[in-house]
Amino acid sequence: MHATICDLITDLVQNSIEARAKEITLNVEETETNLNVVIADNGKGMSAETLAKAKDPFWSDGTKHAHRKVGLGLPFLFQTSEMTGGSARIESEEGVGTTVTLHLDPTNVDLPMFGDFTTAAVTLMTYGFDGNLTIKRSLGGKEYEVSKNELTEALGDLNDLESLTLLKQFIASQEEDLLTL
Amino acid sequence: MAKMTLEELRKLREGKKKEMTQRDSGDKSAQIIIGMGTCGIAAGAKEAFDAFLDELNSHDITDTRITQTGCMGLCFSEPTVEVDVPGMPRVIYGNVDGKVARRIVREHIIEKKLVSDHIFDKPAADIIK
Repeated sequence: MHATICDLITDLVQNSIEARAKEITLNVEETETNLNVVIADNGKGMSAETLAKAKDPFWSDGTKHAHRKVGLGLPFLFQTSEMTGGSARIESEEGVGTTVTLHLDPTNVDLPMFGDFTTAAVTLMTYGFDGNLTIKRSLGGKEYEVSKNELTEALGDLNDLESLTLLKQFIASQEEDLLTL
Repeated sequence: MAKMTLEELRKLREGKKKEMTQRDSGDKSAQIIIGMGTCGIAAGAKEAFDAFLDELNSHDITDTRITQTGCMGLCFSEPTVEVDVPGMPRVIYGNVDGKVARRIVREHIIEKKLVSDHIFDKPAADIIK
């Protein structure tokens, strides 16, 4: 399982990017008793048969690396939910898109640490893909929403060092606000 | 830090752009590509990402881009990072934790010397045809 929930989220959103989605929404909702993550994309989607195979850690579709026999992204998702009393669901339709829904119990002692959401968001926003990514984040009743399109419009090339630095400050300020009473 | 608005972000960026134009060193920019596949993430690629950003900023280096890629086929030596500095060989470094990332900035990007003990000369056999 990934060391932090943010690592798991990063990995799952990258699946949407690799599925060539044009619109991706990442929704992370935290309360004292629930941690809900929903990732929805309009990428290429999967058939029921492919989805069943994708849950197997010793299967990969072979498009990225011809001889690879492992694919740990989705197995990590199910391992995390199963080992911590949570639930995970994937709904997918070929040509339409995929939605991953994860419900976790933040009070479960086996749950990995949440991790650094600022860096996770910065790396996802700057991963380098054509589509848009919208992040919706709420914590204890406070929330913020930001999209890659808005950030590109404000900053230009997001991978430029100046932009990266400002982007990190921007996300950090949103995260800090969530924690302020 | 007060919650920043998109408008404030835009203004800060415009301010930085003006500074950049005034400085205009004329140098071609360097590129750092961080392997951010499942293996890279699990091995701490995001710590390396933060360290690169922080170290480059602390040395006032602005003409550099940081991008990401998926698994480079070197899962055994993650986090892996490709560094392309004009006039130097393109190098893939392995086992790049925060400390090594800072060394790459100081030694490779600033002093133009390779960080030899972390170099991998080529990707794994199933990646190169």
